[in-house]
Amino acid sequence: MGAGLAAAVVPGCGSGGGGRSGALQVWGGVPAASGPGDVVKAFQEKFPQYPVNYTRFVNDDRGNLKLDTALQGGVDIDVYFTYSQGAMALRAGSGLAADLTDRVTADPDLKVFLDTEQPRSYIDNGKVKALATAREPFFVLFNEKLRQQAGVELPQAWTIDEFRSTAKRLTTDKTVGAYTVPDIARIALGPNYWYDGNRSNFGDPHFEQGFRVGREMIADGTAFPWTEVLARHLDAYQQNSFLTEEFHLWSTAPFNLRYLYDAKKYPHDFKVAFAPSPTVDGKDWNGGSFSNFIMINPKSPKFEAAWAFVKFWLTEGATPMLKGGKLPALGGVTDDQVITGMLGKEPDKYFDMDSFRRVVLEADPKLATDTRLTGFPEITLAVKQQRDLCWLGEKDPGVAIREVRRLADAAIARNERRP
Amino acid sequence: MATAAVATASAVRTEKAPGIKPRGWIGFLFIAPNLLGVIAFTLIPLISVVVLAFTDWNLVSGLGGITFNGIDNFVAIARDPGFWHAIGLTLVYVVVSVPLTVVLGLALGIALNRPLPGRAVLRAIFFLPYIVNVVAIGMTWLMLMNPKAGLVNQVLDAFGIRPGWFASSHWALPALIVMAIWGGVGYCSLIYLSALQDAPRQLYEAADIDGASAWAKFRVITWPSLLPTTIFLLVTLIIGASQGFGLIALITAGGPGDSTTTISYYMYQTGFQFYRFGYASAIGLVTFVGVLVLTLLTWRAQRGRALNE
Repeated sequence: MGAGLAAAVVPGCGSGGGGRSGALQVWGGVPAASGPGDVVKAFQEKFPQYPVNYTRFVNDDRGNLKLDTALQGGVDIDVYFTYSQGAMALRAGSGLAADLTDRVTADPDLKVFLDTEQPRSYIDNGKVKALATAREPFFVLFNEKLRQQAGVELPQAWTIDEFRSTAKRLTTDKTVGAYTVPDIARIALGPNYWYDGNRSNFGDPHFEQGFRVGREMIADGTAFPWTEVLARHLDAYQQNSFLTEEFHLWSTAPFNLRYLYDAKKYPHDFKVAFAPSPTVDGKDWNGGSFSNFIMINPKSPKFEAAWAFVKFWLTEGATPMLKGGKLPALGGVTDDQVITGMLGKEPDKYFDMDSFRRVVLEADPKLATDTRLTGFPEITLAVKQQRDLCWLGEKDPGVAIREVRRLADAAIARNERRP
Repeated sequence: MATAAVATASAVRTEKAPGIKPRGWIGFLFIAPNLLGVIAFTLIPLISVVVLAFTDWNLVSGLGGITFNGIDNFVAIARDPGFWHAIGLTLVYVVVSVPLTVVLGLALGIALNRPLPGRAVLRAIFFLPYIVNVVAIGMTWLMLMNPKAGLVNQVLDAFGIRPGWFASSHWALPALIVMAIWGGVGYCSLIYLSALQDAPRQLYEAADIDGASAWAKFRVITWPSLLPTTIFLLVTLIIGASQGFGLIALITAGGPGDSTTTISYYMYQTGFQFYRFGYASAIGLVTFVGVLVLTLLTWRAQRGRALNE
């Protein structure tokens, strides 16, 4: 902890530190080679008067701490990215994000960022502090080879019960039907689903339903055993088990498509088809969200250059980010650009293009981006811990969700008491 | 002649006395790089923890965001079930892993002290876990203890046992304890080995002449001569086990549930995941005092026994 204070006093050790330079300093979590490098290059062609230096930080606890201390200590950072909601609330609420309200309001291209139904921005006390650069809808991937062997139809619309029965039909001796169940409460409740007034919302039955369905699917062998997920740290490497056909249905987002179009690097011999996320009780919120929020350091002496960069990224420059599976938050890309950007050089070889067009290009799913973030990291941990115990079969779903509710209520109360 | 020599030596000492001060400063210059490091990376953080323990601070708000809140953090700690759960787990971890590591280290040290073929190689092999990178250790044990395909469970299957290890809230802590013991035994054995080689030979010879049994020689000669080493090992192992973090962060991240959230990991979560740096510092301070008390009690208990012997 003392190291934290010491870091706050002596910040910015390492790359990107030091005094003010002439170039616009941009910090992001995506490696430059995965898109940002090309965005910067395109920006500099259009705005040669604004040289840009892109610095990558690793988007984990340590990397974010490095960014926080650098921002706090006055390291030369003009524009930076925030990927987790918890960090965004802290940064925006601690004076580390410039107020972009006037710029957004004045620009007709950016008015959509003022939408609060399906928010694409983070608004702190009525001020726009962060703008989403990416749109990451969830969908369900099918292994076409195994689907056809099982004689299962590719769904174009389905319910969570149909998802479950499909997983059952796809389960064989060698392949589990699904990795896990999609987030039922999210689909039913949409954004900010953890909160209800000044308490948590875990009394809503959809949360217990999610825990229960997941546990039952694991118990009947139609979802991946959670002991294996934990023992092999599979949550971070789901793609490996999908590629080796250990499980079939995979509810995921575009950022994982990069593993599916390079059979040399990630060997597999099947095509992948797309189905939309299932619905719950007629509700159809998508488990994905607007994400990859861009923010401007309020201490930046190069605000105009920083804003030019932010606007460029949002409105015309984000195409290179498609290769990392990041659809631009404002669209502005053609279908062909999306296909070649996200599905590699031989899309027809690895993907069922009809279903891709239907589910990704033509659909307009309702994305649920959380903007209420009180006690967010604590609640995230409580949900994960209790879900693990429930899906390991050690705790009843009702008991687990009640524990989540108790911990979440305490976290909300504690954080709302803080100055 | 002798008087003259003494007088000369005295004169030399008198002449050199004024030179002590400058030599002292030169000494400081030699240790300055290390001293600066200690001040920057140990002393300042240490003082900071004490100060921050009485504040509410999220780091991101900067030094201006520090709010002093008196003893609120300590009152909150007293009422925090998560803290007491973490303390309980840490005590289990320390109380089980440290004595077993010492006992097995002693047994191994005695075994390796005998004239065995390939003794030097065996010593190196047993010491290896102590110097291998923690990530390599963690990944290896993760594979060995895979509940379905791991080597450990394949062996245990023969006895009808199939623990869930890191995928079970009941077995994850025992699994970490097994790893801690495995990692510490070689180190203990090496320390014991050097102590055993310093044990007074004449006492063993006298005991042999008196016809003492092996157990009697161990109880009366070996064990008392190893007591200072044992105290050293207990103190360092207790401190080390209380601060156990690397393997937990790497393998279990405190889970499943909170079954391996020991006090060090709880402090990390509170500070670096929840950004409650003031509260995390207070936990650090309380833990420091706890470990200090535990260490002093151990030291005093062993010291008393050594004197009685």
